[in-house]
Amino acid sequence: MTKRDGFSALIPAGKLSGSTLGRRAFLGGLAAAGTAAALAACGGGGGSTSSNQGTGRLGVYGWADYDSPDLVAQFTKETGIPFSLDVYSSNEEAIAKLNAAKGTAGYDLYMPTGVYIPQQAQAGLLQELDLTKIPNFSNVDSSYTNQPFDPGNKYSVCKDWGSTGFLYDTTVIKRELRTWDDFVDAMQKEASKRTSIIDAPNELAGLYAWRAAVRQDWTSTDPAFLDGVEKFILEQIAPHVAAYDSYPGSSVEQGKYALMMAWNGNARLGMVAAKDPARYKWVLGAPTTELWMDNWAIPAGAPDPDASYKWINWILDPDHSYTDMKYHGYNTGIKGIAERAEKENLPFRDMVIFDDVQRATMKVGALNEATERLVQILNKAKAVSAS
Amino acid sequence: MRLLPRRLGLLGLSVPATCFLLGFFVIPVGFIVYYSFGFKPGLLAPVATTKLSLARYSEALSGPFADIFGTTLRIAIVATLVCALVAIPFAEWLAVHVPRKHRLKVVALLIIPLCTNYLLRTIGWQVALSDNGWVVSALTKVNLLHGGLGFLNTQGAVQLGLVYNYLVFMILPIYVALDRVDPATRNASRDLGAGRIRTAVEVTIPQAWQGIVSGCLLVFIPMMGDYLTASILGGANGTMVGQLVAAQFLTAQNWALGSATAVVLILATLVTVIATMILLRLIRWTVGTQRAIRLPKGSTS
Amino acid sequence: MTRLRNANLMTPLMWAWGAAVLVFLLLPILTIAVYAFNGGRSLGTWEGWSIQPFQRAASDPNIIAAVSTSAQAGLGSAALATVLGTLGGIAAAKVPGKVIALFTGLISLVLVTPEIVNAIALLIWYVRIGGPFGPGATPIDYGLSRLMVGHAIFSTAVVVLVVRARLAGLGDTLEEAAADLYAPVWRRFLQITLRTAAPAIGAGFVLSFTLSMDNTIISSFVSVSGYTPWPVFVLSAIRSGLRPEVAAVSVCLLGLTLLSVATVAVALKGASRRSRSTP
Repeated sequence: MTKRDGFSALIPAGKLSGSTLGRRAFLGGLAAAGTAAALAACGGGGGSTSSNQGTGRLGVYGWADYDSPDLVAQFTKETGIPFSLDVYSSNEEAIAKLNAAKGTAGYDLYMPTGVYIPQQAQAGLLQELDLTKIPNFSNVDSSYTNQPFDPGNKYSVCKDWGSTGFLYDTTVIKRELRTWDDFVDAMQKEASKRTSIIDAPNELAGLYAWRAAVRQDWTSTDPAFLDGVEKFILEQIAPHVAAYDSYPGSSVEQGKYALMMAWNGNARLGMVAAKDPARYKWVLGAPTTELWMDNWAIPAGAPDPDASYKWINWILDPDHSYTDMKYHGYNTGIKGIAERAEKENLPFRDMVIFDDVQRATMKVGALNEATERLVQILNKAKAVSAS
Repeated sequence: MRLLPRRLGLLGLSVPATCFLLGFFVIPVGFIVYYSFGFKPGLLAPVATTKLSLARYSEALSGPFADIFGTTLRIAIVATLVCALVAIPFAEWLAVHVPRKHRLKVVALLIIPLCTNYLLRTIGWQVALSDNGWVVSALTKVNLLHGGLGFLNTQGAVQLGLVYNYLVFMILPIYVALDRVDPATRNASRDLGAGRIRTAVEVTIPQAWQGIVSGCLLVFIPMMGDYLTASILGGANGTMVGQLVAAQFLTAQNWALGSATAVVLILATLVTVIATMILLRLIRWTVGTQRAIRLPKGSTS
Repeated sequence: MTRLRNANLMTPLMWAWGAAVLVFLLLPILTIAVYAFNGGRSLGTWEGWSIQPFQRAASDPNIIAAVSTSAQAGLGSAALATVLGTLGGIAAAKVPGKVIALFTGLISLVLVTPEIVNAIALLIWYVRIGGPFGPGATPIDYGLSRLMVGHAIFSTAVVVLVVRARLAGLGDTLEEAAADLYAPVWRRFLQITLRTAAPAIGAGFVLSFTLSMDNTIISSFVSVSGYTPWPVFVLSAIRSGLRPEVAAVSVCLLGLTLLSVATVAVALKGASRRSRSTP
């Protein structure tokens, strides 16, 4: 008989106290609650928000490995604003999330690719910029301001620009590859099932159209063109893909893939991190390839736009911009940055600074009626690769 | 009869949970079903339901997507069966051979993987099995392997990952059921001359049947919707249906097609479960009518 | 006696199987635990022993925020699920089957729906209804409310099952005895029903908390910048390059869990030993 209050004295102890496992579970619950409360307290609430004023933190939605972590830490130290990044693999994915969230996603800073900006601005996904809050905007080289996709820089400021090419493991592919045609050929032979393709719909059209064998405008919306893309991708590309990975650079040191389609900066990151960079060779896509420009933009509904302005102005400082370029490997478009890269012997400079001849081969993309079909082709390709 | 109003009062206790689930489960999923009959009107608009049709369903069941459904079903069924085959002997060992005072320690060891983040324990396999991971290094050192293992980014790896992640959910119900089985029946069967395997098959397992069935359900249903394991371990080869649904909502912005795919997934899961239940009932019925206890010669005098 | 009977050739095989399965289950956990001490930049490439990942994890504000968010969302959703689920479980156990069939059907529906369907449904729904799930002056920041409600759905169903299982086998005799002794309804409820269900309520809370801490798919769809729970942080880290810090944090969390369970076990052993000795 357990000593409890008078009522329960009538009840055998066993029934009330339950099995040992049950008691353990109950006290375990209390212990878990205590631990959880401690964990919750130590973070300080993850950022308390009052709706109209700033949150004091910078919520960023962008591409991965795109800003030097040391630089970010320096920014936080100087301004007291923490920097937190959520990552996407393609512009389509970013637009899908921002569109679905309708301004409630909570991001202050965004990095859309230029050609995707007009439609997003029209759909109300971006805020208009107050350029008076960005005095360092004058540091941007004039060839990268006032672009056709955003006249007058109403919504965006140039972050950097880059291109697409591929990286291959010379111990697996012993011949020299020079063009997209070589890429596709190697993919079907030595590097079958060891190749990675960028996880973005428009790049598929590019892979079809940039080759010497085809040489068409990769932004075409002609249904016959798109049928050609679909047939090519599903029959010749998808069966040989190991992964759809927009950031294969981070897998270079693990030796995951033998052949990787990549953006130049991401490939460069892989080379920088690799123990034996001589094993890999970078090829800028030929005869035609992509020209994209990523931009700083502020999404509609940003909780703390002032934090964004502080960051954008800070990063446009020539020294900060150069440090960032040293890390991510993309040309940031600041005045005189190419000369400085040559003077200071930037590692793997040929993967960052492109000359006029190379620039002539780069073609800008588009967001148009073809995009939806390309997204479906990408999904079908993933389905084919899995079977 | 005095208890009737009290029982109805108890019914009221279910109201808060019902309202909560109605508001945040039934209605939202209802919208998904509603959207599945819609279409995608333009580039930046995800869905419109001004014109309802079944076109999204035929799209969801066409070509490569149908293959993915088949692959997912196959992978989930195989993984469930493997889980069952691994779990039954293990649960038998735990319930019968392990002394009672040590059982809790074994259960604690079982719980450890569940206390680790789901993604990280799958990554643990990815790191272990990668070509410069320790498994390959160890095997190469003892000359059992040359070159890479090549196991990652295959359907086999996805199978392994799924079995691993859900094995404990199969073990626990079977163990609980076996624990309830009276050892006297087992001993009686042995006394009557049945061998160990026959005892297991004809006495122990039928009594633990309920546990095996709940284990299979507990494992198969989440597996059908699980796509993270497949994407981490299978790469491009690891696309399962959940990935398709996610892609339609996250990348393609085609909510109508995504909803239709999701509804097909639910239906496929339910149909498989119901069909299996019916099949099992049929088997039990046919086997049951033929069963008779056969005593070995000379055991009755 | 039983042990002697079962001891024969099969026994070592069974023990071997048991050990093999346990090793299989713990292999990746040990791998992660070891690689948490990896001094390199990437989790998958070993570059020597170091405790740097732990130091880096402790000083990374994003990691701390993610763990804290997970813990808060876990507590909130577990509390919500436990309250709703306990009441529902009591109803499911006591009310005759036919009357409560709709409710139990709803619970089953929740359990058989794949998580991805739930996730996409909530994503659309939260944006549609706004209010406490959208930006605006709210007592609980909307990032947390989205997570808490999202996690509580499945957890509520689980708690209902657990509580019902506990109460179903025990019958009404205790409540009837209490009623015969003129105990008022609320007193019967508090002192009998809840007391008997207590172990299940505790287990349900722990289960809900664990499920919430590990919830990945729903969280990745509904989470808001600044309220990224830990699993979503890991998910995005997978895409942008896993660092050993992630493994370090996981090891710490696992250690904390084991520590609290061990403490509880030791405390219980002491308590039961003491209570047995009192007459």
